[in-house]
Amino acid sequence: MPEFGPDAPTGYLLVAALLFATGVFAAISRRNAIGVLIGIELMLNAAALQFAAYGRFAKSAADPQGQTAAVFVIVVAAAEAAVALALLFAVYRRTRDIDLEQNRELRS
Amino acid sequence: MSAGTTSVLLLALPAAAAVLCACLRSARAAHAVAAAAMLVATLLAVPMAVEVVGSGAVVVGPHATWLDLGRFTLGVGTMVDPTGAVLAAIVALLATVVLVFNAWYMHDEPLAARFPWQFCLFAAAMQGVVLADNLFLLFCCWELVGLGSYLLIGFWFDRPAAADDAGYQARKGSGARGVLEHRLSPSHAQWKAFVMNRVGDAGFLVGIGALLAVSLQTGAEGDVLSFARLAALPTADLSAASLFGLSGESLLVLAALGLFCGAVGKSAQFPLLGWLPDAMQGPTTASSILHAATMVAAGVFLVARCLPLFPPDALAVVGWLGAFTCLFAASIACVQWDLKAVLAWSTVSQLGLMFAGLGAGAAAGGGEAAVAHLFTHAFAKCLLFLCAGAVIHGCHGHQDLARLGGLWRRMPVTAAFALAAVLALGGAPWFAGFVSKDAILAAALAAAKVPGGPGFGPFLLACAGSLLTAVYLLRWWLRIFAGRERQLEVTQAAHDPPRAVLAVLVLLVPATMAAPWTFGDWLPLPHGPEHATATTVALVLLALGSAIALVVWLLAPRAGRDLAAQLARVLRPLHTACAELWGVERAFDLLFTRGLGRGLAAVVARLDLGGERRLAALELDGAPRPLPASLDGVVDGLARGCADVGRAGALLHGGRVGVYLAIALGALALAVLVGWSA
Repeated sequence: MPEFGPDAPTGYLLVAALLFATGVFAAISRRNAIGVLIGIELMLNAAALQFAAYGRFAKSAADPQGQTAAVFVIVVAAAEAAVALALLFAVYRRTRDIDLEQNRELRS
Repeated sequence: MSAGTTSVLLLALPAAAAVLCACLRSARAAHAVAAAAMLVATLLAVPMAVEVVGSGAVVVGPHATWLDLGRFTLGVGTMVDPTGAVLAAIVALLATVVLVFNAWYMHDEPLAARFPWQFCLFAAAMQGVVLADNLFLLFCCWELVGLGSYLLIGFWFDRPAAADDAGYQARKGSGARGVLEHRLSPSHAQWKAFVMNRVGDAGFLVGIGALLAVSLQTGAEGDVLSFARLAALPTADLSAASLFGLSGESLLVLAALGLFCGAVGKSAQFPLLGWLPDAMQGPTTASSILHAATMVAAGVFLVARCLPLFPPDALAVVGWLGAFTCLFAASIACVQWDLKAVLAWSTVSQLGLMFAGLGAGAAAGGGEAAVAHLFTHAFAKCLLFLCAGAVIHGCHGHQDLARLGGLWRRMPVTAAFALAAVLALGGAPWFAGFVSKDAILAAALAAAKVPGGPGFGPFLLACAGSLLTAVYLLRWWLRIFAGRERQLEVTQAAHDPPRAVLAVLVLLVPATMAAPWTFGDWLPLPHGPEHATATTVALVLLALGSAIALVVWLLAPRAGRDLAAQLARVLRPLHTACAELWGVERAFDLLFTRGLGRGLAAVVARLDLGGERRLAALELDGAPRPLPASLDGVVDGLARGCADVGRAGALLHGGRVGVYLAIALGALALAVLVGWSA
């Protein structure tokens, strides 16, 4: 099996890792809650991509487990985005601000 | 009910009474509850004693393992042997009598409600010592006995030192000497008793450790400290045992001397004897049980029970030290002017006599003789102290033998009881002490004839002590009860205790006679060829001592021919030495309280203050603090370290979502890494 190219999983996995690292960086470093949310979406999509890649290059390619999991991840991501945006709305209504440096009520 | 169950009840009843009495506010109710509990205990203990003594067998009660330490276990359990059964019955009976007496004695004492629970705790602890089936449990109860005595001695904990106490100064003995008045207060006396007992207990622990080492190295397993297992130790093969270069035989000697060291503290033998006379600061009723059946009896009981473990070398030490204490304390008792001090030194002396008997060894019948004397002494001394309490109560706190006198007219029943107790303790024929004291002297004489034994020294010392016993006891009784009243204002209000109290006291009187002790040979007293000799010697000594006391007393009141004063003048160095307690108190004060105590205090103070000063200086500078190398510095450094860790932890917990997320992801990464490498 070649190392790279359309018939090898390495490239897909590298892209997924890059996506995940970008997501982590965004989630940790962004002050804006929307930015954090985008970071989390990136991480989820990295996971979905990885599932799809493993599904495609698994030994029994006929088994659609990987693809199924990827679909599940997309569903979870949609649900998560809905819940998180609702939360952000609530926070915004309360403090008129979605800057995480200003919203530190978890501390107490 | 089997003896095993009864023994548990004997422990539980006083303990439960102590808890209950501690919850009661009313002194009357507390005394009633405590006396009732002790009465039930007596009614249980007497049949048990009759049964166990009758069969002569050791009854083993329930036993539970408390700690399983692998090769050996430590347990709690009870065991009743004839000696223990009788002593348990005596403890319960005397406790009942003393509690009833105390209800009258403290009828106008505001703190009286505290007495019953402390007293019941004391009695329960003593029952534990008597009925424990292993040395470890005995040691625990031994310490509780120490606690009980600590509480009772300091009953009037808020009284000032005698030097600052106007009441004491007005009433103290005119010939009071050898007393460190600036140190004489109940709170100091309780500390003194506690500390001196700790010194003895250190030896006790060493003894237990040595026994444990020998047992384990001879291959024993399980509950190795139980008395049944320890009794087999001297016959075991000790060649495998050694510790710190000591052979098995030397370890046994060390163990025996360690146990004896504990007994020396508890039973106030030389040199740890200063605390018992000082314990007179407690209520007289507390003294009456402390000097009779609990506390001081524990030491003699311990050595008597472990007597098979004592090699001849250790027995010689026991015999010599006991006999020496017997004479030493008797000589001091002869010149005391406080009526309770005479009795206290008398107790020390009698305990010394018991140890002299124990030192004679089991083969010479010393164990039985000493235990018999422990029993007879308990009744006589309890009765003596209760009579002394009645006298002190009647004379409004006056305890000076020089001011009392002629009280037999005002309190005839008390005088008669006290006389019975004096005769019993002095060893007059047909009285209890005659039986047991002769047995001890006979045992000491028998042991003296054994080659390689302790020799004639203990016997001669004990004889001299017996002579002085007759002198000081008769002097005590004559000075209080006989003759004319010396100071009417002191004695005119005296009266016998009420009938109900006398009715309880009379219970103790039969036990001062010889008959109950010799009846049916239930007490295995030794009857050797030395017995006749010892009886003759004891009778001669008794007659001589009584004659001395009588002559001195009869000639004392004649004007200008006060024989006591003349004697004191002629024998001035001897008299002074006795009155000053042979310098023991002052030596202890100088050596330990002043010398060692102050030295240690100075070192600690320097460590402490040094740190404080450095800290103050550092704070003034505002410079970063290095850790001060003092005791304080260590403590402060620890505190600062804790605070710094806390502050660092608080930084993480700042409420920033990103930080939390980073921590979570970091932890996840760490977990994955660890999982990977594993």
